[in-house]
Amino acid sequence: MTIEVLFAEVCNLCGDAQNAEYLRQTLPDAELIFTPLTDTPYFVGHTPDMIYMGNMSEQIQRRVIGALRPYKDRLQTLIDGGTVMLFTGNAGETLMKHISYVTEKIELDGLGIIDLTVKTDWFKRYNGKTLGKCGDLDVLGFRSQFSMVYGDNAGNAFLKVERGIGLNPESRLEGVRMNNLFCTALLGPILPNNPLFTEYLISLTGQTAKAAFRPQAMDAYEQRLKEFRDPKTEF
Amino acid sequence: MDKLKFYVAMAAAKLSAVGLRLLGRNASYLPGLIAVTICKNFIGHLEKPETLICVTGTNGKTTTSNLLNTVLTNSGEKVTNNSFGSNVQGGVAAALLLNSTFTGKHKNRIAVLEVDERSSLLVYPFMAPDYLICNNIMRDSIKRNAHTDFISHIINSAVPATTKVVLNADDIIGAQLCPQCEKKVFFGVDALPPAKTEGMKARDIVYCPKCGGRLEAEYLRYNHIGRWRCADCDFASPERDYLVTDVDKAAGTFTVAHEGEAHTFKLVNDNIVNIYNFCGAVALLREIGIPYETIETAFQDTELVKTRYDHIEAGKLRITRILAKGQNPVAVSRTFSYTAKCPGDKKCLLLIIDDKEDNVRNVESTCWLYDLDYTPLKDPTVDCIIFAGKRCKDHVLRAAMSGVDLSKIITTDTVKNCSALVDTQKYQDIYLLFENYWLDEALAEEKRLVERGESGT
Ligand SMILES: [Zn+2]
Repeated sequence: MTIEVLFAEVCNLCGDAQNAEYLRQTLPDAELIFTPLTDTPYFVGHTPDMIYMGNMSEQIQRRVIGALRPYKDRLQTLIDGGTVMLFTGNAGETLMKHISYVTEKIELDGLGIIDLTVKTDWFKRYNGKTLGKCGDLDVLGFRSQFSMVYGDNAGNAFLKVERGIGLNPESRLEGVRMNNLFCTALLGPILPNNPLFTEYLISLTGQTAKAAFRPQAMDAYEQRLKEFRDPKTEF
Repeated sequence: MDKLKFYVAMAAAKLSAVGLRLLGRNASYLPGLIAVTICKNFIGHLEKPETLICVTGTNGKTTTSNLLNTVLTNSGEKVTNNSFGSNVQGGVAAALLLNSTFTGKHKNRIAVLEVDERSSLLVYPFMAPDYLICNNIMRDSIKRNAHTDFISHIINSAVPATTKVVLNADDIIGAQLCPQCEKKVFFGVDALPPAKTEGMKARDIVYCPKCGGRLEAEYLRYNHIGRWRCADCDFASPERDYLVTDVDKAAGTFTVAHEGEAHTFKLVNDNIVNIYNFCGAVALLREIGIPYETIETAFQDTELVKTRYDHIEAGKLRITRILAKGQNPVAVSRTFSYTAKCPGDKKCLLLIIDDKEDNVRNVESTCWLYDLDYTPLKDPTVDCIIFAGKRCKDHVLRAAMSGVDLSKIITTDTVKNCSALVDTQKYQDIYLLFENYWLDEALAEEKRLVERGESGT
């Protein structure tokens, strides 16, 4: 099992680095390839079982788009071929059509693999929580973002939102799922916070594994699920 | 019209301050909030003190402000400050208006104002600081501060070019602040054995801001605090005008060199983050012309504020209470690391570090726990760890992921009376780490432990 972690040295805001660590602890025999932003991604010449990229600053996001743009077709091929990919926070935005950086007055096209657009405003921070269903699985997590995503994800949403917002405050559908590519605005410890989703993600690579520290992770997950469902909890 | 608004705001604010005082309450924030709500440009209408010093940065603002206040007060100044209030716009306005006449004339010669980074745009454009000291810019509250690019952008947009900035040269992010300012002074620490460079994850800068090449660390102390140079261009950490050349923990002193002179001061606290704070304070005080002797004398009488750090011996128990600023992964990581190195070969740590407000009718975002370094808790001297608070299960998982022995951990989801879980027959060295907003509860638990220590129970 090979997992490529893209640009972990810079795509690690909000605790996202620990998702890769949780995968490492869940799959002790897996080979984790950490590709820095200055290197050619491993996926260009190989087919990893999984690709992970975490949350980043806007400046880095623009650099990441530049770094990935030459490999747009390769990424598309991998997505079509069913490679498991998880992009958290604003990482998935790099695959979208266009990003307007309102505060910095910059307009930039993303890779255009996902037919959605992004608006990023440093003076409109959104902090929130989302609970939603991915198939039968309850997935939950936290959000802290300057950006909102616009467009139609009715046919390929990652989560049907039960509480919280979707792509934007008007949307009830969060993120994007294309084949085994998952893009979500949830950030930080999405894998340790969702041990069942971690196991599901791994199952899509054809392997089975028990989430690391499963009893402790399930304990925390079940408590949080109860808290998120509590009508007294504000969203 | 604006002037009229100002007088209405001033009258309302001063009245509210009198009212609060009659109620026995601290007039630290509300009068300022009333003033800026009525008159947006309220601060701009006030007369500026002769010397306005602002203190900002992710960590160390309060320690630095307190130190500057102490030294300046010792030197005979009456200092306008917001050290007992709030560091956002309302708190700054309150400190200024309470030391101004009704017409806005400032009563004191000097003001030292701690300013939250995100309030920069609401303060500096209205009253230009003569001096601005920034100790560091690093990861902070994910919800409020996002990332260092964002915070740097806000500060850079707000600080006037005329301000003299005093910056930490060993903070490669903070050292680049305020490109618009010509007058810059840098400080740093040269003496201590450098920290190891591996295993440090929460770094907020990797690539050269000038050419995009890879930055190489000569050494790192914590996070990105250290000395850097670019592998591909001439970009490097700036030279230091004020440099800590020696820290003598045994003698309890540190030495600062500047322009060929060296002066030794009392080491008020030996935590590396505080050594930076002390050096920054010395640099700023010298820049405004305070003689070395005055600074040295004032440092002799200085201690860290008891609300942030306290050590009590009660019977057989040695109880240390240390502030661990919640949702701030760097600050809490530093506190963990400091505590692990503190005296005692069999310590019990009582941790009250969850957010107080965010767990009321809400669920605290635990993202910051995943930037927090739990590995100091693996130290063999740490024998028992008690996580008290709603997020205790999350701490257990994070500690487990960091390799902490789970058999050392005890949890409780309620803070009240959590010290009852400390086995005082087994542990004599007890460290109580607490988030700011839990101060009252932490003091109550400290008191309970002191009583148990004195009665031997
Ligand atoms: Zn360079």
